[in-house]
Amino acid sequence: MNKVHSRHLAFAGLFILVTALMLIRIQFKAFISPDTQNMFDYIDGLPEGSAIIISFDHEASSLPEMKPLGLAILRHAFAKNHKLIGLALLAEGTGIGYRQMQQTAKEYQKEYGIDYVFLGFKPQYIAAILSMGESIQSTFPEDYLGNPSSELQLLDQIHNYSSVVGVVSLADGSLTTHWMEYGRARYGIEVSAAVAAAMITTYDPYLASGQLRAMVGGLRGAAEYEQLIQRGGSGGRGMLAQSFSHLYVIALIIIGNVVYFKSRRKDASK
Amino acid sequence: MVRLFPQVLCAAFGTTLFILYFLKHSSAKSLYLTITNDYWQIIFAFTLIVGVISFLKVNFNKIIRGEDRPYLLVGVLGMIAMPVLAFMWGIKGDSPFMWVFENVQVPMQATVFSLLAFFVASASLRGFRARSVPAAILLISALIALISRSDVLGYLPQPVHEFSDWFRSFPSMAARRAILIGIGLGSLTTSLRVILGIERTWLGKER
Amino acid sequence: MITAAIADSGWFDAGQLPTFIASLISIAIVLYTTYHRRSREKFKIREIAGLNAVEEAIGRATEMARPILYTPGWGGDIQRPTTIASLNILSHVAEKTAGYDCRLLFPTHDPVIMTVAQEVIKESYSRAGYPDRYRPDDITYVSSSQFGYAAAVEGLISRQKPASVFLLGTFEAESLIMAETGNIAGSIQIAGTDSTIQLAFFIVACDYTLIGEELFAASGYLSKDQSILASINAQDIMKVVMVAFLILAIASAFLFPTSEWWSF
Repeated sequence: MNKVHSRHLAFAGLFILVTALMLIRIQFKAFISPDTQNMFDYIDGLPEGSAIIISFDHEASSLPEMKPLGLAILRHAFAKNHKLIGLALLAEGTGIGYRQMQQTAKEYQKEYGIDYVFLGFKPQYIAAILSMGESIQSTFPEDYLGNPSSELQLLDQIHNYSSVVGVVSLADGSLTTHWMEYGRARYGIEVSAAVAAAMITTYDPYLASGQLRAMVGGLRGAAEYEQLIQRGGSGGRGMLAQSFSHLYVIALIIIGNVVYFKSRRKDASK
Repeated sequence: MVRLFPQVLCAAFGTTLFILYFLKHSSAKSLYLTITNDYWQIIFAFTLIVGVISFLKVNFNKIIRGEDRPYLLVGVLGMIAMPVLAFMWGIKGDSPFMWVFENVQVPMQATVFSLLAFFVASASLRGFRARSVPAAILLISALIALISRSDVLGYLPQPVHEFSDWFRSFPSMAARRAILIGIGLGSLTTSLRVILGIERTWLGKER
Repeated sequence: MITAAIADSGWFDAGQLPTFIASLISIAIVLYTTYHRRSREKFKIREIAGLNAVEEAIGRATEMARPILYTPGWGGDIQRPTTIASLNILSHVAEKTAGYDCRLLFPTHDPVIMTVAQEVIKESYSRAGYPDRYRPDDITYVSSSQFGYAAAVEGLISRQKPASVFLLGTFEAESLIMAETGNIAGSIQIAGTDSTIQLAFFIVACDYTLIGEELFAASGYLSKDQSILASINAQDIMKVVMVAFLILAIASAFLFPTSEWWSF
């Protein structure tokens, strides 16, 4: 058997900590960050019945983080009676997006074709974003369920980006950048994002410059949003484990530095 | 001729799309959409065929040779099984395809993604050492960012949040913007080199 | 008056005028340095540690009789400039590995990148004088899925234990998985990406990291081709122009708070 390395102990400690804490179902009140409040205010402030494109631009791998965000935003939008047009620019987002829309629509008694539609997946995301700027129906001649787009009541009044108030991109990668580069720069559509925690700092410059209208990120963002819409979810439930795993990493960094300085002092005294 | 034709094609399409981007006339937009929507989709479809054939060919050869047989067999079986399920029972709702996606692919992908958490722990143990003054500043910034993102059960004092937001919004963003500008300019000149034919490595021929 | 006339013609999108002007200025600078100044000056660029280490990495692999692994990341496809920059470096690496008869593994997530890489490597091996050493089965399409690709590369690194790993291209969340696995396998790692977030992971986990535009300068740096070095010089000129514009805009906004000429 291989020698036990310090990283094996670090891995084991993290595994035990997170597993144990996930079994404890306690939720704490989160401090609402300005970014999350901004996103909430944006969707809350839209006129009732506004048409919003929800783009599921993430893969299945980030589902534990993105699903709470997606559900929270969909619930908020449905509660405000907004009309939602779901689509996916990554293949894996298709099944994920449809399931989430179906689940939340049922909670708020929303009808498919009237209150929401799901258009499915379109490959070549840049081409899809540009094409929707001209005509959403010709980009998606059929919806995810095979219904002709021309027969969907919701899409009667929706022609292109000028017919919607904005797009919310649920992304775990850089697809939101393409929404800004092609959707906003070319057609002027308002772009906001719900992103994985790792992507928050990537989109900060765009948020600061106003290219991104609003942004909420990570499991913590999901927990804050759930608190704002006063509806519990797995965002809040996961925060306990996330908080302590961050503290664990901090402890590892401190231990690493203590060991480093001790060995440096030992070498110096030799 | 073998080298010249792709270069001319690249230059023609690159220049055309560049000009079309700035035109708003309906015929210009129509041409732009035809190229970006239709041509790209067709090319994408053919690239998938290339990928599948290559994957199967390489893996079959390796399986016959006995290299990494168990891993490759799983990969090949997965690649064959999913389209069969899709064609036979569709991909919607409660189809077997969606069942495999939700119960096999999603957990597998989430598992690999979760490896990041462990690797961040081992990278932190190894990487965040206060070897010098800049390294110490990096270390302290990382600690503040970590503490503020963890929220410590909501009991973190307000000044810590504010400092962390300030740090994220100003020093950190300034550095990132500078790198982004450099990358943007690098992308611009690389693209121009390809369109103008100065850069020919992508042709697989002499630079 | 001219811009109004152009806008009124119904063809030109006036909202894109600032972008158009900036593009024309940039193209003019690149063309000027490439075709005019190139004949008069020899351009030099500063030492880039990551690129100097390429030779060392290949030599290490040859001495240890272990392969080299080179991968361009999941985040980009062939049209992305970062991927093209990565393939430029690949050409140089492949030429060296041909000479040393060192195995070069190239897993990728995109079939088009795989096809182009096959051509690049095959041509590099021919140029080095060893076309028979080219192994097409080592250049593979593994998976279009991000973590399918990450798992495949991670498995390849764990099993093959390459002496050197090149992570050059557009990476997303899979970057740290590969970098840490390479670290555990004891490989020397040279990385470069256009993502500022993944750069942070690479700096911690890899031996050498190409930051920002160093990746794009690699082609000229390794080949010493004056045309390419001239376009790098053009980047520096554009930066000077941008800084001058920034200083003017800041001064204007400070002295004349209602001015808006600089915003677009």
